[in-house]
Amino acid sequence: MSVLQAQCPACGGPVEFKSGQSVVVICGYCRSAVARTDRELKDLGKVAELVETGSPLDIGLRGTWRGVSFELTGRAQLDHEMGGQWDEWYATFSNGWLGWLAEAQGRFYLTFQYPATEGVQLPSFDQLQLGQTVQGLPQQATLMVAETGRATARGAKGEIPYLLTPGETYYYADLSGPNGVFGTLDYNESPPLIFLGNQVTLADLGITTTRAPEREQRQVGAAQLNCPKCAGPLELHAPDKTERVTCPNCNSLLDVNRGQLSFLKALKKLSFDPIIPIGSSGQLPEGKMTVIGAMQRSVMIEGIQYFWSEYLLYNPQIGFRWLVHSDNHWNYVQAVAPGDVFESAKTASFRSKNFKIFQDAQAIVESVLGEFYWKVEAGELVRGLDYVHPPEMLSKEVSFVPVSDDQQAPNKKKKLTTGEINWSLGTYMPVAEVERTFAVGGLPRPSTVAPNQPYPHKWIYKYWLMFLGVAIFAGLAVFIASGSKREVFWQSITLSPLPNPDGTHVFFSEPFEFAGRSNIRITAESQVDNSWVSLEGDLINDETGLVQSFPIDISYYYGVDGGESWSEGGRTDSAYTSALPAGRYILRLEGQWEKWQQPAFLTVKIEQNVAYGFNFLFALIALSIVPAIMLIYHISFERRRWSESMFGGGDDSDDD
Amino acid sequence: MFKKLYTVLGVGVISLYTVGAMLGWELGTSSRRQLPPDARQNGYRSFHFWHYGLRGGK
Repeated sequence: MSVLQAQCPACGGPVEFKSGQSVVVICGYCRSAVARTDRELKDLGKVAELVETGSPLDIGLRGTWRGVSFELTGRAQLDHEMGGQWDEWYATFSNGWLGWLAEAQGRFYLTFQYPATEGVQLPSFDQLQLGQTVQGLPQQATLMVAETGRATARGAKGEIPYLLTPGETYYYADLSGPNGVFGTLDYNESPPLIFLGNQVTLADLGITTTRAPEREQRQVGAAQLNCPKCAGPLELHAPDKTERVTCPNCNSLLDVNRGQLSFLKALKKLSFDPIIPIGSSGQLPEGKMTVIGAMQRSVMIEGIQYFWSEYLLYNPQIGFRWLVHSDNHWNYVQAVAPGDVFESAKTASFRSKNFKIFQDAQAIVESVLGEFYWKVEAGELVRGLDYVHPPEMLSKEVSFVPVSDDQQAPNKKKKLTTGEINWSLGTYMPVAEVERTFAVGGLPRPSTVAPNQPYPHKWIYKYWLMFLGVAIFAGLAVFIASGSKREVFWQSITLSPLPNPDGTHVFFSEPFEFAGRSNIRITAESQVDNSWVSLEGDLINDETGLVQSFPIDISYYYGVDGGESWSEGGRTDSAYTSALPAGRYILRLEGQWEKWQQPAFLTVKIEQNVAYGFNFLFALIALSIVPAIMLIYHISFERRRWSESMFGGGDDSDDD
Repeated sequence: MFKKLYTVLGVGVISLYTVGAMLGWELGTSSRRQLPPDARQNGYRSFHFWHYGLRGGK
């Protein structure tokens, strides 16, 4: 690095350009932005003092990105038009690269400047549409416009690689792509400057700073302040991030500007009572979160206003999360990168899951309580779309901010607007879990089905399939283990004509042997011809006198009716009985038949160990009754869910 | 709770089926009867016995 040492043109103090790429250095004595030109050093004016944001980064900090070491050599602080600041750190790499490390809401984005692709003209700022894909970016990046805004350079420190003019305002567009790809179009110049990179973590950058724990320690500490309206005490849980706070004593809405409170307006009496008190803490899977704010919002659908409340949760190490309470259902919500969501007409996909659209409406902020990290106000309007894939819900909020007239370009007919797209992922939380987490009791139970409420008995289908599998396995095992069937008796029998239609003929067989623990099938066959034979059978244990009765009915009829032949019944019938104790048995048959004047000819066969599916079928039915009832309930559950949607669409129940 | 109940039902049904199959049980088998000792001694092949003695009339 070539080091240029000089004197500040404003105060005469020593200034040093360590990097050859630095254009501006901030005088450490008088905070003047000192620019180096071809001929001389130029005083660009004084920058404001930096707002303490609790950043774990600092000038002089070293790290490594993709094997190349870097040092943070400068920091610029920019004001967001919606309130709040973000930091941009300038990383000077050992191989000559210059990186921009943006830090906002505890997230980090490392980008590098790229030249525009030859022959490609990027859209002008007023042509940009939120959500549009920007074509023609270098590196074949496919990024969508996630935010358009206006930034004002307010403070800086160290060396800055561009001509930073204090108070200068410029337009920008933040771009988001899949897997954390990030970009910015800087409209401070025309054509816009292109910065592309990724969302990163400090670990990705090889930054292990002892400063971070020290910062975090300070961040955790809440600030005790007094309301400028009523002088009552109030506490800021996130003093370095809060933009708005309501006074718990006089219900005034206060602006938080660099730790200073100023009165904005008196709020109307709260129309909702937060169920979870501000200041409550709860242990969630991500860590311990504190409720720092609550707001009530509403949508108007078909002339009916629906209200819900949202609780802002905060942990300095985790950031902001939301707990949304609607119709006595609860959701834990966190932001996701817009570029990771792929939206089509009625679906959105995120992390390989498809979400179906459920609602699309204008949401309005009704009332606020506590602290917020943006300049929230009652009446704030966003377009909100909800997509569901139980137990998750993807929500998209699109907001627009009209640019004030003094900031409009003089020759443009179209008025400039800025805005942003925010995507969030909500996960359904059962009421009991919310009660446990925040140590509150008696929360009301829901009576409706929430858009992303998971069907609670889906497990039964898995259990059912598992039991079916086990039953089939058991059936096969039994079939294999029991061996083949065995014939124990066979005889042709002639029954002599009956004396009258009510008479019977009785037959007793010679003894035969039954084995134990084997079922029994008795089959009789008779060549009946448009007639019937009815047999009452008994198996009699010749040694113990045990009698097992069974019926056999053979009937076979056929003919031609209306030119079509028909038949009914058959010439064979079987009866099954459970196994009998092993021993010697006699078969008794008492028969009647339709053509009683003629003899009846029968063939009777008795077998053991016969494969018979009735028991198996009965077991399958017994296993399926409960799942079948639960399936009917499941269908009803889904109908109730989608009856609340403006898109219907409950054609299946893919809430796995 | 419901999960446990269905698990008990499933295990019970499969166990019953397996045990039943191993022992040769068949659903729908009519109940068994016992010939009286005197009938066995005196012979049980008479029409009268089966129609009025054992079954008590048809």
